[in-house]
Amino acid sequence: MSFWIVIGILVVIGLWLIALYNGLVGGRNQAQTAWSQIDVQLKRRHDLIPNLVQVVKDAMGYEQETLTKVVQARNTAAAASGPAQAGPAEAALTQATRGLFALMENYPQLKANDNVKQLQEELTTTENKIAFARQFYNDSVNSYNTRRQTFPAVLAAASLGFGPIELFNMPETEREVPKVALR
Amino acid sequence: MAATADFVAAQKENRRNTMVLLVLLTALAALVGYLIGWILESEGSDTMPAVSALGIGAAGVMAAISVGWSLISLAVGDRMVLSMAGAKLIEQQDAPQLYNVVEEISIASGVPMPKVMVIETDALNAFATGNRVGNGTIAVTRGLLDTLSRDELQGVVAHEMAHLANLDTRYMVVVGVTVGLIALVCDMSLRTLNWGSTQRRSDSKGKSGGGILIIVLLVVAILAPLAAKAVQMAVSRQREYLADATSVQFTRNPAGLISALGKLAEKAAPFPGVSRATQHLFIVNPIHEFNSKTPALLATHPDIEDRIARLRALGS
Repeated sequence: MSFWIVIGILVVIGLWLIALYNGLVGGRNQAQTAWSQIDVQLKRRHDLIPNLVQVVKDAMGYEQETLTKVVQARNTAAAASGPAQAGPAEAALTQATRGLFALMENYPQLKANDNVKQLQEELTTTENKIAFARQFYNDSVNSYNTRRQTFPAVLAAASLGFGPIELFNMPETEREVPKVALR
Repeated sequence: MAATADFVAAQKENRRNTMVLLVLLTALAALVGYLIGWILESEGSDTMPAVSALGIGAAGVMAAISVGWSLISLAVGDRMVLSMAGAKLIEQQDAPQLYNVVEEISIASGVPMPKVMVIETDALNAFATGNRVGNGTIAVTRGLLDTLSRDELQGVVAHEMAHLANLDTRYMVVVGVTVGLIALVCDMSLRTLNWGSTQRRSDSKGKSGGGILIIVLLVVAILAPLAAKAVQMAVSRQREYLADATSVQFTRNPAGLISALGKLAEKAAPFPGVSRATQHLFIVNPIHEFNSKTPALLATHPDIEDRIARLRALGS
């Protein structure tokens, strides 16, 4: 009799472990997919910035300092690995490019240049996509992290090889979330 | 109800409302069909049969019309609206900024990338159609592209994406069919009653008990289409508020939509290919002058000033 009770308990624990494992794998995969979408946009941005610098360099000879800052920020960001490192580096890059955009307003010949306009549009959309994809990534990470930290999953998650995932935060560039009441 | 932003819930609610409407609509159509058949049959003979064969037949026909009309509208309605308005499909290189903005909001909302179309007119407007999540179209006018800034365009696109995410587009199609069908059956019953009363007059001794019933039916047949229309407009206005709120939830930038609505209020103008049947799909009403005092009860869209005031309230 007690033999069967033990077997029953073991089966229940086994089923629970399977469900936990699959749930955590699903959560981790979602976060990784979300991150790879951000990564695509980050790479795109790192590719666009040298092009922009190249195009505006001649006209903006007196703004060498700003241009150097942008290039440096770009190189730091491109060298960063993982969300925790990339966050502040990308935030710094956003600040630097915004400074450059602001200065470009003083150069009418640049504002009229189709090539510049196109690059500026591409950079803007890439930044927006990063910002929007970041919300989804952080939501996925939060739900995964919460799941692996709550009882009873916390007993088994670490030994099954499910570590915490880093959030991707870009301080100073974040827009405040407005309070939204739907009805 | 101060429910927090949750368009998944809105979507679920719209799905359910769509089903409920479809069922109610079909039942109503069948009922009216039965009544008409029953009245016709009992007018023809002296007895009033409890079960009318003609009524059952008419009920079947009406139910079939209701289901068929809804299905056809859902299947081809969006394509018809787009071709009537003269919308042209575009690719990334045709209007890079518009295309990019739609891609951004697609990421923000989690809604799969819709088709992007442009309508060649100077009027400022935009609309969305689609009967499933993942099968949507967002169309904007050339005037809108030329006039709005990037942030403003983003707000408008997010408003349209909100209609897709909330499945408003499909819901409003079914609501439209319901209203159309109610109008149709009421018209039919009026004609039937008319015909019935001339029959009765020649009949000398009419069934006086049926007289009150006929008058009630007459009143219902006249008032029902108006009531249905008012309900449709109320639903439409409520969907607009919801889409404005959802738009801000996507962009996190109320200023863009607020300033876009301000420009739309000044410059919206009617353009060809827009009919009363499709006016509720647009971001601002494409037919009415905004200064003119449209009776609030029969307006597809809330007053723009009111929408802007609500958006400002979100920001604070």
